[in-house]
Amino acid sequence: MQVQQIQPDESLGRGALEKALQRLRKSVWVFHLNTGSCNGCDIEILDVLTPWFDVERFGIKLVASPRHADVILLTGPITIKTLPRLIKALRGVPRPRLVLAIGSCAVGGNIWFESYSTIGGFPRIMDTLHELGITIDKIVFIPGCPARPEAIIYGVAVLLGLVEQKSQYKRVKA
Amino acid sequence: MVKFVRVIPLATKVGTVTIKYPFEKPLVTESFRGAIEVDPSKCTGCGACTRICPPKALSLIVEGGSLILRYFVGKCIFCGMCADTCPEKAIKVTREFELASEHIYDLYTDVEHEIITCKRCGTKFVSKKLVDKVRSKVGEPLDELAYLCPTCRRIEMLSKTLIFR
Repeated sequence: MQVQQIQPDESLGRGALEKALQRLRKSVWVFHLNTGSCNGCDIEILDVLTPWFDVERFGIKLVASPRHADVILLTGPITIKTLPRLIKALRGVPRPRLVLAIGSCAVGGNIWFESYSTIGGFPRIMDTLHELGITIDKIVFIPGCPARPEAIIYGVAVLLGLVEQKSQYKRVKA
Repeated sequence: MVKFVRVIPLATKVGTVTIKYPFEKPLVTESFRGAIEVDPSKCTGCGACTRICPPKALSLIVEGGSLILRYFVGKCIFCGMCADTCPEKAIKVTREFELASEHIYDLYTDVEHEIITCKRCGTKFVSKKLVDKVRSKVGEPLDELAYLCPTCRRIEMLSKTLIFR
């Protein structure tokens, strides 16, 4: 009897990811992960969940465990101390593993981009995660210091493929 | 039980507070600061903004035959200090905040400047636009020294004074 080997680092194809997102279109459960943030972005995330913005009308719900979550709301520049916990939490998320990097810290490190105690943004640990066999299927970066609640809602819409992203790489001659 | 009943008339009086964000305009005030916009026709590439920027979101890079003023929104803290510092008033603070993107390179904006190479040693050091602007202000005495890098300029000045002696 042959036992089929499970390959955890096998990446989903483009079509497969689209199919998985189709399934996700009904409702998204999010898990809030703070990796050394100043709490500015965390307050904005709480704002999004209040009746004023009320993201539950889109089916977005905050859950207490990464094992229940579809999307990780990552804030903070990832300090050295939180890195092992972050990897542990990301490993618990079922595929498709989606990440929403919220705030300037999570995107580029903000003013801590060259600090001794921080990694300096989520893009810098992508290689480490790849080596550990943790595949991130889709990431959306939301700049802002802190990111506005509207910007977070817009970011979720970009993540789920409901709207086309506005920002494009520009190169102009002076 | 009684407390819960008391909420019902209050809720009917207040009504719905939820804003219909994607279908209506967001609450952006006059003083809100979003992503900055560099006017390429005004910018001279002096680098005053890169020195004041706290997270180094603006940076000057020499790439091939051009000087590039690179703006990375992902690091920006939206303080607006660059707009205050810019001597040409080329930087404008917009109210754009819907910046979410799937790829990190979509968050970069480059302004390309023509660069000047030193006549003596051939190092690339400053943008052509800035030299032209300084020459138009200072005039005659700078004409021969304008196209030399700071190190070569010192050597030139020193050799001149030695000859005079």
